Amino acid sequence: MTTDGSAQILDRGYRRFDGRRSGVGGAIRSTAWHTTRSVLGLGRKARHKIAPVLVIVVAMLPAVVFIGLAVLLGGDEFVNDVLEGIVPLYSELARQSIAAMILFTGLVAPEALVRDRRDGMLSLYLSTPLTRRTYLGAKVLSVSGLMALIVLVPTVVYLLGMTFASLGPDGVGDWVVVLIRILVSGVLASIIYALISLGAASLTDRRAFASLAVVLTMLGALIVVQILVEAADQSIQWRMLDPVNMPMEMISRIFGDAGQYPEIPTERVYAANAGWAGSSAAVLWARYRSAGA
Amino acid sequence: MVFGTHRALDSLTLEVPPGITGLVGANGAGKTTFMSIVLGLRTPTNGSVSVLGLDPLRQGAELRANVGYGPERNVFPDDMPASDFVKHLAEVRGMPRSEARSRASDALWLVGLGEERFRALGTMSTGQRQRVKLAQAIAADPSLVLLDEPTDGLDPVQRDEMLALIRQISSEYQIDVMLSSHLLEEVERICDNVVALDAGQLVAQGPLRELVGDVEGVTVELTEIDDVPGSVESVVARLTAAGLRVTREPDANRMDVLGASADLIADAVRDAVADSSARVRRIEQRRRRLEDLFEVGAS
Repeated sequence: MTTDGSAQILDRGYRRFDGRRSGVGGAIRSTAWHTTRSVLGLGRKARHKIAPVLVIVVAMLPAVVFIGLAVLLGGDEFVNDVLEGIVPLYSELARQSIAAMILFTGLVAPEALVRDRRDGMLSLYLSTPLTRRTYLGAKVLSVSGLMALIVLVPTVVYLLGMTFASLGPDGVGDWVVVLIRILVSGVLASIIYALISLGAASLTDRRAFASLAVVLTMLGALIVVQILVEAADQSIQWRMLDPVNMPMEMISRIFGDAGQYPEIPTERVYAANAGWAGSSAAVLWARYRSAGA
Repeated sequence: MVFGTHRALDSLTLEVPPGITGLVGANGAGKTTFMSIVLGLRTPTNGSVSVLGLDPLRQGAELRANVGYGPERNVFPDDMPASDFVKHLAEVRGMPRSEARSRASDALWLVGLGEERFRALGTMSTGQRQRVKLAQAIAADPSLVLLDEPTDGLDPVQRDEMLALIRQISSEYQIDVMLSSHLLEEVERICDNVVALDAGQLVAQGPLRELVGDVEGVTVELTEIDDVPGSVESVVARLTAAGLRVTREPDANRMDVLGASADLIADAVRDAVADSSARVRRIEQRRRRLEDLFEVGAS
């Protein structure tokens, strides 16, 4: 701070930029980060934060409960044996994030696309280094990243909690294998759910209708499959058309577990997931192929 | 450029020099399609395009990093502060984060929204939103700015201010501007060059000073008083008899008189009016305006 009266306010005017521009990669990063903030309601009014907070609470609850049980009751060898029978496997804990996933895909994720279409931002984005393909890539990156956090954070926290409570995997090698399985399965399931959510949300410009489209796609298919298999006594292979449980079934198979539907071969589980991801991506691209020009 | 059976742009061959270029034409003339092609968002059915020395189709990302765009549509994320909005788009156009922040602030000051930069876009007036669109278009230091109807929805004072800002961007900051407008008067006021489109066809293109301005002859508008019927016809007959060429719409009181210097024509008009008992409403040097280009094109 100057005290000799020499301080001045300078009009910097307009400055040229001769530095290096970040290019398409920077545009994708910036758009993905902006979308993440928008979806989580950061920098927005409190009402935009309600759904994301609800999803986080639902996602974390099972892990916190089981870690609490292990920490409060564990320690004694007999009690640990009992607890090992009660606490879920890592793949089972990941399955328990299904409620949070459905909440996120239905209530939160559609915001990533609908807001830009509603606000006219898409035409502005397409006037930047982004193309329709890289724009959608940024959206998938953002939504699948958030979904990965919903699956991964509780499971990784659970792994750490169980390890500290002496209920974790035996030895460093097993521990690393479990961690890798958690990461791989979480990322894959997140990408599949993100594509299903964005594909269904792309069908409309209205937020409420987008949420409805996502819920109808996921729960509608689930109900139809349930009726076919349970009520009409059709083949269990129809379960492959269930977009809610197939990613979770894939998680079980990655962990080497039998899963909920052991009658369906593992390669078919992977194929079903690839089918849902591919068809959702095709719908998304069909909706955006000529949008915003 | 063909969409199905509709030909949006046809046989367009032009070169746009630096400065401010007005892209004029009625709705449906092909202005937005032209801008989309310039940005590389649409592929011409045939032919080639080069913008700032780059091919918009093959080098689109590189080109668009150096182009600012202000869309016609006046809808923004309502709950977003203007500074965040401009900063985000500067980042997407390739500015590092800290640079984007300071440039967003600078750009909003330059368009006169320095004090309002933290206000949510949804609370801003139409005039302020138009300024925000201009700020985001210039924040990432573009070489070219495309503005689609930048004065849409502005009152006369706001329009004057916006046009002055656009002029400033070109003259002081050396940024080339292409603005699309259906208001020919504002294009005449600030543009250096004009591209006139009508139903997808190029009507005229070139420096404004060559396309509009004073031309040979005098424009005369007369009034016929009630008790001297036929006085305007008499003036026309006298001027023709004096060896001048008179063009007018049938039964119109406005005419163009050619065939001599402006001073001689004015003298001849004065004499003919005095002898015919008509009255002069207006007499001025004949001037070609932008709308005349469209009349020539239509004919």
